[in-house]
Amino acid sequence: MNRSAPDALALTLAELLGQSALKNQRAFGDLYQLTSAKLYGVALRILRRQDWAEEVLQECYVNIWNHAGDYAVTKSAPLTWMTSIVRNRCLDWLRRPQAEATGVEYDIAVEAWQDDAPGPMESLLAASEGAAVARCLQQLESKQRQSIMLAFFHGLSHTELARHMQQPLGTVKTWVRRGLERLKGCLSGA
Amino acid sequence: MASYKSPQLRDKLAAEYVLGTLRGRARARFQSLLRYDPSLRRSVAEWEASITPLAAAASEIAPPARVWQAISRRIAGTARAGVGLTFWRGLAVTSATFALVLAAFIGMTPRLEPPMTMVAVMNDDRGQPAIVVSWPPMKAMRDPHLRIKVVQEHPTMASGTAWEMWMLPGGKAAPVSMGLIGIDRDQVMKITPALAGRMGDAWGITMSVEPAGGSPTGAPTGPVIFKGQCVKIL
Repeated sequence: MNRSAPDALALTLAELLGQSALKNQRAFGDLYQLTSAKLYGVALRILRRQDWAEEVLQECYVNIWNHAGDYAVTKSAPLTWMTSIVRNRCLDWLRRPQAEATGVEYDIAVEAWQDDAPGPMESLLAASEGAAVARCLQQLESKQRQSIMLAFFHGLSHTELARHMQQPLGTVKTWVRRGLERLKGCLSGA
Repeated sequence: MASYKSPQLRDKLAAEYVLGTLRGRARARFQSLLRYDPSLRRSVAEWEASITPLAAAASEIAPPARVWQAISRRIAGTARAGVGLTFWRGLAVTSATFALVLAAFIGMTPRLEPPMTMVAVMNDDRGQPAIVVSWPPMKAMRDPHLRIKVVQEHPTMASGTAWEMWMLPGGKAAPVSMGLIGIDRDQVMKITPALAGRMGDAWGITMSVEPAGGSPTGAPTGPVIFKGQCVKIL
């Protein structure tokens, strides 16, 4: 298990954020280089439209630049902090009336999430930060895991989950809720 | 609301908020609770710390170069007159609930004028309400005006600068200047009949910092410090 790589990245990012708080533009450029492909991927999957994802990404990095100083007081990992900013902005974006009207023009790339043994999880198991949640996810029932992953990675709402999985709304809501409960139990026991 | 006191429910809401399945009004309501509830914020932070690293499992996609170009223009402070459409579109939509609360508050002030039917709560860059603008139906007024209430401890206006308020019309139309504001807590801003006629289209209001005397170009040239969405309350 290669634990040193992600930790080195986390340290680098924390330092770049510190420099960005001091308005060091070059450090901020490096921060962008190291993180933008990750965060753009996050935004694009949730928003499903390139123009929106670009706008949100731009907003979020300007926000990160303006609030880099706030990072120091949070105790989270730098990438988690930045990812949360992007995810929240995306989910807020989906609340706009125009955004709701788009329908399902996007063909959800389900990637490997429908499999019982999701592939990308393996790479996560090797990383220190995501290892616990990846291990716990593997212990969920497959429907619970699938609905949680579709919601997380593709920003599907309960209604969209129900449509996508061809199940009643109440059923997928229960999968999500129970899945999260079990996840919490597993994470706190781990 | 009593139900928000149940620890199980609070934790479930925090989890679904982080996961992304808490949507629409429920999400907005949750966000407004977060603002005043440190223990709920902790709960969210815990879920973020455990779930969000999952994002690392998804493949990376490099954004087009224009994204960085736009960002570096904006952070270099060279965005003079170049505060793009993106920015206007990016107005936070989280203030609707707060607007209702403040609207009720504003509604209590005695007055001899038509009731205020529209309100825009302008938030600062931290999402905290700074200025509330409200107005009645413009048709009902002979001398059209807006009421401005400063709800935040007023930041200092640097000398040689002025604060200019802008109305954001729908679609891709450029921001329309509403005028400069003063530093009093309660202000009345008279507006031209032409602007009054367009207030029905307003979906957002912003405040930018301009040279004394207002924007030299008729468009916002300085940093936008407050922004808010227009909400119909009556």
